[in-house]
Amino acid sequence: MYSTKIVKAENSSAAVQAIGSSKEGKILAGGMTLIPTLKQRLANPDCLIDISGCGLEGVEDKGSSVRIGAMTKHAAVAESSLVAKAIPALADLAGGIGDRQVRNRGTLGGSVANNDPAACYPSAVMALDGTVHTNKRDISADDFFKGMFETALEEDEVIEAVSFKKPEKACYMKFPNPASRYAMVGVFVAKFSDGVRVAVTGAGEEGVFRHSDLESALSSNFSEEAVSGVEVSSDGLMSDIHASADYRANLIGEMTKRAVSS
Amino acid sequence: MSEGIGASVKRKEDRKFLTGKGRYTDDINRPGQVHAHFLRSDVAHANIKSINTKAASAAAGVVAVYTGEDIDVGGPICGWVVPNRDGSATHEPPHPLLAKGKVRFVGDAVAVVIAESLQQAKSASELVEVEYEELPAVVDLETASAGAEIHEGMAENRYFDWELGDEEATDKALKSASRVVKLTVRNNRLVPNPMEPRAALAEYDDLNDSYTLYTTSQSPHLTRLVLAAFMFQIPESKIRVVAPDVGGGFGAKIYVYVEEAVCTWASKKIKRPIKWTADRTQAFLTDAHGRDHINNVQLALDSNNKIIGLRVDTLANLGGYLSAFAVAVPTYLHGTLLSGLYDIPAIYTNVKGYATTTTPVDAYRGAGRPEATYLLERVIDQAAREVGMDQAEFRRLNFIPKDAFPYQTAVALQYDTGDYEPALDKAMEMIDYKNFESRRSEASKRGKYRGIGVSSYIEACGIAPSAVAGALGGRVGGWESASVRVDPTGTITVTTGAHSHGQGHATTFAQIVTEKLGVPNSSVELVHGDSDRSPFGMGTYGSRSLAVGGVAISKALDKVIEKSKKIAAHLMEASADDVEFKEGKFTVSGTDKETAFGEVALAAYVPHNYPLETLEPGLEETAFYDPMNFTYPAGTHIAEVEVDPTTGVVEIVDWAACDDFGNLINPMIVEGQVHGGIAQGIGQALLENAHYDENGQLLTASYMDYCMPRADDLPSFKVECTNTPCTHNDLGVKGCGEAGAIASPPALINAIINALSPLGVSDMSMPATPETVWRAIQNAQARAAE
Amino acid sequence: MEIKESYDLPLPIETVWQALNDEGFLKNSIPGCEKLERISPNELSAEVKLKIGPMSTRFKGKVNLSDLNPPNGYTISGSGTGGIAGAASGSAKVSLSKMEDGEGTILSYQVKAEVKGKIAQLGSRLIHSTAKKLAKKFFSNFVQELAK
Repeated sequence: MYSTKIVKAENSSAAVQAIGSSKEGKILAGGMTLIPTLKQRLANPDCLIDISGCGLEGVEDKGSSVRIGAMTKHAAVAESSLVAKAIPALADLAGGIGDRQVRNRGTLGGSVANNDPAACYPSAVMALDGTVHTNKRDISADDFFKGMFETALEEDEVIEAVSFKKPEKACYMKFPNPASRYAMVGVFVAKFSDGVRVAVTGAGEEGVFRHSDLESALSSNFSEEAVSGVEVSSDGLMSDIHASADYRANLIGEMTKRAVSS
Repeated sequence: MSEGIGASVKRKEDRKFLTGKGRYTDDINRPGQVHAHFLRSDVAHANIKSINTKAASAAAGVVAVYTGEDIDVGGPICGWVVPNRDGSATHEPPHPLLAKGKVRFVGDAVAVVIAESLQQAKSASELVEVEYEELPAVVDLETASAGAEIHEGMAENRYFDWELGDEEATDKALKSASRVVKLTVRNNRLVPNPMEPRAALAEYDDLNDSYTLYTTSQSPHLTRLVLAAFMFQIPESKIRVVAPDVGGGFGAKIYVYVEEAVCTWASKKIKRPIKWTADRTQAFLTDAHGRDHINNVQLALDSNNKIIGLRVDTLANLGGYLSAFAVAVPTYLHGTLLSGLYDIPAIYTNVKGYATTTTPVDAYRGAGRPEATYLLERVIDQAAREVGMDQAEFRRLNFIPKDAFPYQTAVALQYDTGDYEPALDKAMEMIDYKNFESRRSEASKRGKYRGIGVSSYIEACGIAPSAVAGALGGRVGGWESASVRVDPTGTITVTTGAHSHGQGHATTFAQIVTEKLGVPNSSVELVHGDSDRSPFGMGTYGSRSLAVGGVAISKALDKVIEKSKKIAAHLMEASADDVEFKEGKFTVSGTDKETAFGEVALAAYVPHNYPLETLEPGLEETAFYDPMNFTYPAGTHIAEVEVDPTTGVVEIVDWAACDDFGNLINPMIVEGQVHGGIAQGIGQALLENAHYDENGQLLTASYMDYCMPRADDLPSFKVECTNTPCTHNDLGVKGCGEAGAIASPPALINAIINALSPLGVSDMSMPATPETVWRAIQNAQARAAE
Repeated sequence: MEIKESYDLPLPIETVWQALNDEGFLKNSIPGCEKLERISPNELSAEVKLKIGPMSTRFKGKVNLSDLNPPNGYTISGSGTGGIAGAASGSAKVSLSKMEDGEGTILSYQVKAEVKGKIAQLGSRLIHSTAKKLAKKFFSNFVQELAK
């Protein structure tokens, strides 16, 4: 990697300030994507702002939702008894990201801010009608994700926490890419009293998305048969050496069925 | 004895490795050392118009920058050639150490930047300006002959066009056959991926005008030979090659690559030690790849379902340069194995080896034999299906019968011994073959397609009988050396030319010593991997370490015993002919006289009472062993799978392996080798594939995209052995390193086809990824609906 | 890989054609374009900063205009090297046609893209989506510029 400067921020406003005073500073959360990129010399930021000391870790029960600090590690979410009780599907999702080493370094905020089209967490934020809390504002999930690797975050904005609404029932089904074990297709189904939300990751060319046909079918009839009745289109789905858009479309249907029947 | 031959002694070397105390090339540092970074081509095929190294040379920390124009020594050589069908020779185009005028694959080394730190070398390499004139990439094997010329004057990009067997007799058999089974298979290209990437640390000694190269090699002596005699043209004694602990090789570390040679060459230019260690993507781009064949197969059957002929036409992709043993792999390690363990009266094969603008291809665990086994076991399976016979019984019907050994095949080899039915029977019993159909119907109730697949294989190991290798185009011998030094106190130092990079030689070889001399394992020290410390050797590959290197140790031990008996006879005042040696003690038959091995050792070095007039003092013997024939491990693997039709995911639910490796020295290590081999074979069949785009870019150059098998991809293997000892070596051993990788891919693919055959699926390509399997199911269902 | 899309523009074909040949318009349309200078009638030198997720690389190269058929279309192609990241090139065959109402213009394009070196070796899963995204961005920027 190229040499760079590391600044340890004490709170999120200090982090934002450090970003502002750098030319091309980057926030360093868990570093699970950023550090390998730097090692490959594919980015050359003049400054890394380490936010591990900003007090952004922890899980809180907020009644109708669960609020998780941005720097909370995947392993902590996976092992949290609070999450396991309130939204077990979220704990499952966190426990299935990467490997043990990644889960002990990687963070919720890092994953959400990066918005990798094959990351697991964005689907949970989307399906659980989440809210992204930044140092400036609260952003609803539907407004937050703006396409592959793009979010509503502005230059002077840092994610502090994400809130997830407690569903009546939810399940995340991941079909992992056999090599990377990222989601080749991941479907998060969440049933609320006022309807069902279905978010798909790993498949869309624009990153995570809600599948409205599946949502309306499941909202009126929460069953595998309802899923079978939906023709999942391959339009807008990714094709790569691992899976064609057609195959991904098939997997969306299959993973949804499994999520519904689990 | 519990530590001798046949005991599952725990591996002596594991404590070091498991506690992170191995000492690998990259762990070694020399005073004043600098770092090399290679600038590589990111285009597959281009003329180099110009290279400007001015800015890089002036960059911070840079010691030197070299390009192909600076290099005044030769490049890698070809270690094996074959005659073409028209009598002409294999085309051996030059392979410069750094590209000269042209690049021929993505990753081809264009320049080397040497700097005080690796980061400085990398930064400076970004300042090297290379102007390319791009040429069309040649990627597809089937159309390579019509592609742009890769090597000057090499027509149709063909390195060689070789044949073996009786074409006339084979074509006659095909014509007279009551059925000809036809099949085209592709053996997917693999990247070896040893855990430790390649590395080199080269140091030049100005006082002696000599070099020391620490490197990741499976055969340090061969590396020295090639560097000294062929590249640098200096006395061999001026180079010392040390291969310290090496983290796996699988074939990829047999050869001398350009990077190791450039570091050695440059260490004299700058008179400082130079270190280079590949990162993982460099390993993907530059370690010789494996496999990559297309085979057109025709199998002739008579009306009794007996095989009467086999014709195989093979295209082999050998990449941008001809690697050291690239020619041998698809020819003599492949064509000669086409009889498998079947009695086939007529066989003919033609192999055409092509250049493409991709990474060079060479030996990878099994080397040629997995490709032969794959096509044969696939076509055998298809034949059984076509004639409506049980897959196991069809094989049994066509096996070479037990009483036919030694068996001369139609493709040059003579199998010394074998008995194939017991291994088949045992494997069938292990997997409960007879009750399979009930398991299939149970699975179908759960919506799964269950299948069972058989693969019966043979391999030629113990590479190689020199006379045979030489007659077939090999340019090196196939023997191995060993020396056994008995210390005055009776402890033993064994030096071998074989090299352990995961095989457990320190343990296995010690067991041979224990068995023969009666000393405990802990008294035996193994020295290997240093060209200055052991007699000349040929290294480790082709499942040869035990079958050739181990036998050499055994022969050196015999010499030690023979001399010891003479010393013991003197000590016991008896005739040497009357002295017996057993379990560490010398006795005189018919008397109660005895003396311990340790007493004899001491007497040899403290010869106060010693027959000095007839016997030299000391107790140290060297043996060279060149085998009379290959060894022929064989066996049967049976895989059982369940396919999920909704996703195409294949789950391996059971695996039975029954192998005949002859006598076993350490059954636990053998089982480990079988496990590792099967894992790699499963990798090939289900997961791994080197994927190039049409421009010759390797799209699978990291673990994000290249799928290695992981523990949770694998079932628990059931492993057993039968034993027909090898008839022509002292230990009766055959070799076990490659068997798993050879046997397993067809077992798995046959199982998947078997599972899906109720749907009408009759073919499956490797790797059988979920999408590949899902598509086969979709297509079959669409055909059925028509 | 090939990518096809089309846009309906409420502008006469001549206006669109002119814009397609104006380096100011092109510079504002090429995603991440930091520099675009005409070096000959149909050749421009370019510097583009490309950010894909955590990766951020500056490509230096050329933009060529060929197959010119005013005002019905041309092929715009670009290729650049991004140092250690490798190289990228792409071309868009752009066709303009009058809408049936005679007022507006249909702009359609067909894109081909290639990447080389490290970005191909490490980022293969993203190549297609990224090419599609960049093409879309270029034309949507272009349409927006025209609307100004």
